[in-house]
Amino acid sequence: MILHHTKWFAGAAVLTALLAVSGCGTGNSTNNATNASAQPGQNATASGAAKTAGSISLTETGSSLLYPLFNTEWIPAYHKVQPNVQMTAASTGSGTGISDATAGTVDIGASDAYMADAQMAQTPGMLNIPVAISAQQVMYNLPGLKGHLHLNGAVLAQIYEGKVTYWDDKAIRALNPGISLPHQLIKPVYRSDGSGDTFLFTQYLSHGSASWSQQYGYGTSISWPGLSSAIGAKGNDGVVAALSKTKYAIGYVGISWLDKAVQAGLHYAALQNRAGQFVLPTTQNIQAAAAAVKQVPSDERVSLIDEPGASSYPIINFEYLIVKKTQPSTTTAHALQAFLKWAIDPGKGNAASYLTPVHFLPLPADIYTKSQAQIAQITG
Amino acid sequence: MEVVGAQYMRNVSRTAKVADYVFRVVAGFCASSPAIFLLLIAGIVVYQSIPVMHFMGWSFLTHTRWDLGNLYGAMVKKNGVTAPVGASYGGLVFIVGTLLSSAIALVIAVPIAILTAVILAYRVRGAIAWILSILVELLAGIPSVVIGLWGILVLVPWISAHLAPFLRHVLGCIPFFGGQVGSGYGLLASGIVLAMMIVPIITATARDLLLQVPLLAREGGLGVGMTTWEVVRYISLPYVRDGLVGAIALGWGRAMGETMAVLMVSGNAMNILPSNLYSPISTMAAFIADQLDSAQTDASGMAVHALSELALVLLVITLATNLLARWLVRPRHGRRKEGVAK
Repeated sequence: MILHHTKWFAGAAVLTALLAVSGCGTGNSTNNATNASAQPGQNATASGAAKTAGSISLTETGSSLLYPLFNTEWIPAYHKVQPNVQMTAASTGSGTGISDATAGTVDIGASDAYMADAQMAQTPGMLNIPVAISAQQVMYNLPGLKGHLHLNGAVLAQIYEGKVTYWDDKAIRALNPGISLPHQLIKPVYRSDGSGDTFLFTQYLSHGSASWSQQYGYGTSISWPGLSSAIGAKGNDGVVAALSKTKYAIGYVGISWLDKAVQAGLHYAALQNRAGQFVLPTTQNIQAAAAAVKQVPSDERVSLIDEPGASSYPIINFEYLIVKKTQPSTTTAHALQAFLKWAIDPGKGNAASYLTPVHFLPLPADIYTKSQAQIAQITG
Repeated sequence: MEVVGAQYMRNVSRTAKVADYVFRVVAGFCASSPAIFLLLIAGIVVYQSIPVMHFMGWSFLTHTRWDLGNLYGAMVKKNGVTAPVGASYGGLVFIVGTLLSSAIALVIAVPIAILTAVILAYRVRGAIAWILSILVELLAGIPSVVIGLWGILVLVPWISAHLAPFLRHVLGCIPFFGGQVGSGYGLLASGIVLAMMIVPIITATARDLLLQVPLLAREGGLGVGMTTWEVVRYISLPYVRDGLVGAIALGWGRAMGETMAVLMVSGNAMNILPSNLYSPISTMAAFIADQLDSAQTDASGMAVHALSELALVLLVITLATNLLARWLVRPRHGRRKEGVAK
């Protein structure tokens, strides 16, 4: 009899557990996916929280580059400004961020690359809103070499195509007169995972080399030339590890990894810009490039590679937040608008205190105006 | 007294019936879930691959060029399917990478695992045996990302600086061992990392099998003057042969499906087949994990379908390995099935 009761209790416990799990699942997915339907007052009543008009949740997924800005800077800061807005962020990769945002499973998709025309046509009514400026440097492991090597898009394209295979190739020597380069095989490192960094780097190569542009083009993942000397590494951390452990390797790394990569013993190149100057990814040079950005369309989907100006650094980009123009409810629309306005405001979310720790730069004034105009299009 | 007893019995049986009913429902639900999950996963993977089957046909298995096409450009229609301009999905590089790296892992892991199992089962006793067994099981518990990190920081530089030049120097006359030694990232690093991950699986199973060999048979062997090696070779190993094949198949399946550690040390090659032991490679599992994010930005959806077909190929190959192992250990005519339960 005791035995029977034990069985019964065990069965009941299993059932209860199953119900509880499935119950939680439903609850969570409702919260995440359709938080928009949370009506003012509803949550406040349920949780017994007092006077606020009601709490609302905003979810974000996407770019691993933008994630630290959201998670450690913006969300804690915005919680103080708007305590009734609950924000969650997840680092999933830009592609997932875009597809989550277009599917409507999250409110904000973060991406280093803007949406392609084909995607815009497929899912109309999406906004690509720049919220900050980022950059990228080209790094290499050349033992004993001091200073910054001079490189440009054409030579980098030839290196990755396997046409320039040794460090003392005449194409590299021509850009670096007076520097003695070793007769060693170049080992090009690329990102094996989908990445905004690959998007930027391959755009720079496409700008500098017609053959690259025709054969390989640009994208967050491209069909890299099959080289037995090349290394595909995952993530900026993987690229930095591959570069620092492999002599005579070269690769591209996001600006937020610059300090760590230099500590690991890597050096970075001065890249040739449109004006023909070799420039380093300093704050001034990135800002000069951002200030030179003209002719940004009203939907702000534009490449910032190779901007004019003597000191403009050639590889910079907008960091985007992808949102739906038409939100399921006015409450969500207002909450989203309020957050986005706060995020791009130079005195608030775009202040150096938030952006500098993650090596981003604020939007230039005219881009700020254009982003504001896009945010104003969001309706409930 | 009888009435009281009957009352009592009826109460129990009602409780028992409810318990039995609950048990049946819960057990039935749980027992059918593996089959349902397998069918659901296989069904979805097949369904998702259909557009790429139309687009590429059998050349999916024989071509080496993998190109998502220009995702920022126009679309073209081919074989009734819309895809980005320049798209081509040839999975041969990843199929070859998976098979070669897992084969190298087996070549390294099987002798190590079996000899370790012999020592654990027959040569060590007491505390040492206990500690060694725990260590083998701990090795199995190391997360693959940790092994991958060790691979990047220690193994790959060591291969590049010492092991690969040494192998080329000693065995360079054999085609597969000669040529450029590369950066250390590649086939050899992947094989070693995979071997580390499957050694504990094979060792633990082989040790348990060897312990099942009847003591009398082994003592008999020693009694007629066989050496320790001869006892292992002619008595123990034949006795556990079927189970060993199963253990190796288990390890092989694990090696082919392993993702993270391989991804970190394989060099993630694209559009090129390995030319020697030191060439960069890529495996199906690692490539799917790497490319899914970008694939989701393909408006035509073909990139995701192509990765699904790669997953389907991996599923089929893993299943085929399993069946091959079962065929190898099939009960044969005229050979008495011996008492190895696994």
